[in-house]
Amino acid sequence: MTIQMFEKPLGMRDDFPFIAKKKAELRTNGTSIIQQAGYDLLQTPTLEYYETIGKISAIADNALFKLLDSQGETLVLRPDMTSPIARVAASKLLKEKMPVRLGYYSNVFRAQKREGGRPAEFEQMGVELIGDDSLYADAEVIILAWNILKNLNIKSSRFVIGHTQLLQLILQDFGLDQEQIEKVHAAFVSKNSVGFESLAKQLPIEPSRLESFIGLMSTSNVEEWQQWIDPHNAKQNSLFEDMKKLKKILDRSGLSDAITYDLSFNSHMTYYTGLVFEVYGAGSGFSLGNGGRYDGLMKQFGLQVGATGFGLRVDRLLEIISAVPEQENHTLILFDEQGEDQAFDEAQKLREQGVRVTLQFAPAVLAIDEFSGLFSKVLRMEGAN
Amino acid sequence: MDALTIAMPKGRIFEEAYELLVKAGYDLPKELDDSRKLIVEAPNENIRFILSKPMDVPAYVEHGVADIGIAGKDVMLEHDRDVYELLDLGISRCYIATAGMPDTPMNEVTPRVATKYPKVASQYYRGKGEQVEIIELNGSIELAPMIGLADRIVDIVSTGKTLKENGLVEYEKIVDITSRLIANPVSYRLKQKRITELVEKLRKQASV
Repeated sequence: MTIQMFEKPLGMRDDFPFIAKKKAELRTNGTSIIQQAGYDLLQTPTLEYYETIGKISAIADNALFKLLDSQGETLVLRPDMTSPIARVAASKLLKEKMPVRLGYYSNVFRAQKREGGRPAEFEQMGVELIGDDSLYADAEVIILAWNILKNLNIKSSRFVIGHTQLLQLILQDFGLDQEQIEKVHAAFVSKNSVGFESLAKQLPIEPSRLESFIGLMSTSNVEEWQQWIDPHNAKQNSLFEDMKKLKKILDRSGLSDAITYDLSFNSHMTYYTGLVFEVYGAGSGFSLGNGGRYDGLMKQFGLQVGATGFGLRVDRLLEIISAVPEQENHTLILFDEQGEDQAFDEAQKLREQGVRVTLQFAPAVLAIDEFSGLFSKVLRMEGAN
Repeated sequence: MDALTIAMPKGRIFEEAYELLVKAGYDLPKELDDSRKLIVEAPNENIRFILSKPMDVPAYVEHGVADIGIAGKDVMLEHDRDVYELLDLGISRCYIATAGMPDTPMNEVTPRVATKYPKVASQYYRGKGEQVEIIELNGSIELAPMIGLADRIVDIVSTGKTLKENGLVEYEKIVDITSRLIANPVSYRLKQKRITELVEKLRKQASV
């Protein structure tokens, strides 16, 4: 393959100034909300070991960028932020401070196979609340994600909430073994109703319960979940009570119209062990982010604690909020040798007043008119004029 | 009422699906006079139809420029797109099968298969443990075995008439195909009420 001069590796993008500026604003707004909610920001390395983060991250193996270090160890470009943060939190330093609240704004890398244009490097912004297994922690991160979206002025954002563990228990109640449950999961993840209904007919489910089983796929509020809860199953009941309580907290925080409780909702990320959620907003055909409880991931780092969090995709948020580039105040001062002193003084003065000023030696510009057109105001300080 | 954009394949599937929607009680314009139009509005229902190539419907839906769409299962198997498959409409029923000249075994040295569905074909033969070379063609697939380009073809069969007319016979059936109602995941959540209502109405009409 010959590589053209302007080509970039598959999925890599340049951020032009307009995008870079929007991103910087988004970062400032987002991280300040995160910090206000009591989270500390941290940064983890770009490179991690394949053996640890690479395997734990739940990102498909063929989506990892792999390389070798000088010792021959396989490294990966970090594919997500949750697992590195879990690693940091499980280390000695932070273990004694549980629960810890950590936030991040970082780029992650996922190799793309389909249609070149999809980004293989993108920024994520999110939080992890580690060491708290109460439902208040789940509610906290959902409300925080909601607040970020609200601050960004994203219209009709919607959260879809499911519960991995509760769903697992209910599926077991239908007499399914783990292999069958996984098939059902796959249909749920891709919301393949047609596939699910034909699968349901092949599974060993009592004919009298078939209709109820198929109904699993079409719930939208917590109360509907009740019909599958076995009143004699203590675990199911306590999880269900938690969900009802969570709903109460979220309703109280003004999210009542923004949430769909879909019992069949599920993530392809296998490390989620409890509540899972995904975030959508008008203006993007793709989800804006997702989150949930991942107690199992912490266990892999040798820590038996609860953890929950979310990550939002900055590129998708940007797609929604950056529709119109606004005209900003930007002054151009064109000068030549004669106007030099005056121009430098003027630039200094204006900048001190908070005006954005570009100072340009006029003879160096090839097309004065086109170049001037990029600015809201032009001052010419040339001796000849 | 949320505006709904529906991507539809041009031609027969569009007509069948349109009829299905009318039967389901949707107030759509009676006459579709200009068949070359790419966008058809149904203002009474706040619905807009986008007419595209059948192969492209899932792409429109995946990117969310269409909220829902009608796509053949064959297209969905060939192009793995992130869309929700909500309903089997039971229309445009056919199947994908292998076919070739009568009584001819596969070439043992270099078995070749011509198809419009390289992914489906490759998956099928790999699943059987057969190593074949896949040749992707865009049309007149039947020609391939007749002129010796391939031993087998993998293609859509609805009546079997085209095969017969070209002296080919069907060997193995691979998978049944019908048209499906698909949805963009975000639209499905943001316009859930409207979309589920449509699914329920169509479910009653669908012949399955």
